[in-house]
Amino acid sequence: MTPAFEKLQKHLKQLPGLGYRSSERIALHLLVEKPAQLPALVTALEEAARAVRRCTRCGNLAETELCAICADERRDRSVVCVVEHVPDLVAIERSGAYRGSYHVLHGKLSPIHGVGPDELNLAALRARMESGEVGELILALSNDVEGEATCHYLTEHLPASAGSAVKVTRIGFGLPSGGGVLYADSVTLKSALEGRRSYS
Amino acid sequence: MRLAKLTLHHFRNVGFAALECRGRQQFLVGANGQGKTNLLEAAGFLTALRSFRNADNKLLVTHTQHTAAMTCVLEHERRGETHVTIKVRHESKELWCDQARVTKLADYLGQFPTVVFSSQDLQLVRGSPAGRRRWLDLTLAAMDAGYLRALQTYSRALAERNALLKAGRAVDAELAAFEQTLAPAAAQLIAGREAGLRTLGALLTAAYAKLCDDAEPASLGYEPNFAEADAESLLVRLEAGRARDLQFRTTLAGPHRDDFHFTVRRTAAKDFASEGQQRSLVLALRLAQAAWFQERSGVRPVLLCDDVLGELDPARRRRFWSAIDPESQVIATGTSLPDAELGAWQVFEVADGAVTEKVNA
Repeated sequence: MTPAFEKLQKHLKQLPGLGYRSSERIALHLLVEKPAQLPALVTALEEAARAVRRCTRCGNLAETELCAICADERRDRSVVCVVEHVPDLVAIERSGAYRGSYHVLHGKLSPIHGVGPDELNLAALRARMESGEVGELILALSNDVEGEATCHYLTEHLPASAGSAVKVTRIGFGLPSGGGVLYADSVTLKSALEGRRSYS
Repeated sequence: MRLAKLTLHHFRNVGFAALECRGRQQFLVGANGQGKTNLLEAAGFLTALRSFRNADNKLLVTHTQHTAAMTCVLEHERRGETHVTIKVRHESKELWCDQARVTKLADYLGQFPTVVFSSQDLQLVRGSPAGRRRWLDLTLAAMDAGYLRALQTYSRALAERNALLKAGRAVDAELAAFEQTLAPAAAQLIAGREAGLRTLGALLTAAYAKLCDDAEPASLGYEPNFAEADAESLLVRLEAGRARDLQFRTTLAGPHRDDFHFTVRRTAAKDFASEGQQRSLVLALRLAQAAWFQERSGVRPVLLCDDVLGELDPARRRRFWSAIDPESQVIATGTSLPDAELGAWQVFEVADGAVTEKVNA
């Protein structure tokens, strides 16, 4: 292998989900097997790097000041769904069940990984709450120790908690739809039982 | 539960071994250093995917190999005939139960109980609190999924809080966020340990009485690091401890500093019990553990006796034998065959990692 090839492979290997073999395969594919695809890929990378940035309001991917969701007048801005990462937002969007707006934290509190409140996209959220446009905050963070701690932190340290009328809710944890009780693991079953509601 | 067949591949010094167990008594005989304990270790690995010798994965795999594998065929009270396959690699473990991959420890732990009697058990009486906590946590978590979940949550939240303290930039707000999760998990652990030790203590008292003629009552006592047991007051304790925790850069108080002690005639066994009493205490503890597993799950644990019979004098050996459940399967090791009065054993000879059944022993 040549030095330039090895340099390319080294950079590819640093990408998430790629190991030594897969980075080698991709490098060979781009340089030897399908070199015709290369210019288009380079252009796409350059264009994306130039154009894509964070939405100043919610932290979602955007190409203008606001992302497509924040710019959409039909979305309910008084309801804000707080998620950890952009893919979480995409998943909720795909469900089609939600017509409010979002706020992407780009992480959760985890001192082990060096993530504190300063690393999260909190200033923008605080500004949104202070503006008074938010009526309900839905916490859609993961159901683990770090997600739990982040929820506590948010409820204690946002203007919402300061006696204002903002309603704070957390999404439910329970059985996957279409799944039977039989195949759910014991931890999920327990939270499903704890989160039961009256049926009428 | 009965272990009907155990197959090992590249496990420690055992290149390949297949044991077909008939009946309820198997004896592995051989000189020191031949691999008898390795075979018991493999059988004990079934319960919690952990070695009773507290070993790293790397040590379990034969030197120069990268995967150790074991397959067990079990006769199980609730599941019927069950095949379990465990693969151990340097960095990972893989578990298959009846041809289905098991990915969550919570779905598996406690299904296949075994209890190991080993000479290292004396450390439970004499050794550090960490060893006792480890034993207690494994015993309770095996029978209570809620306890396991609380333990996992507690360890994770504690690690996060300690990382904050260590970084030296800890802010009250962030500490509070993790304490909110830490306190309820701690409360659950304390409650679980208190109830568990009460039951295990009663079982130990009964087992000890069978092992020792002179009716010296033996028991277990819980020494919680926090006397309070409700989440609210634990939260207050954690908050009050922040200044000191920050100085030491770690969480100083909590169930991760819990301990329990053994008593004989109401005095601390660690300081006052004789060598023989301490040995009887750990045997009684293991018998209590076996009884607890059976009581809680309805599954009879397999008893694995690592060189224990040889260490006891004939009178104590007889009493130990009469104290164990006659329906349980016993797999024992020793350098010489046991007395005829302990029943008919199926004998395997172990030499340099190879196992052969000895016929007409």
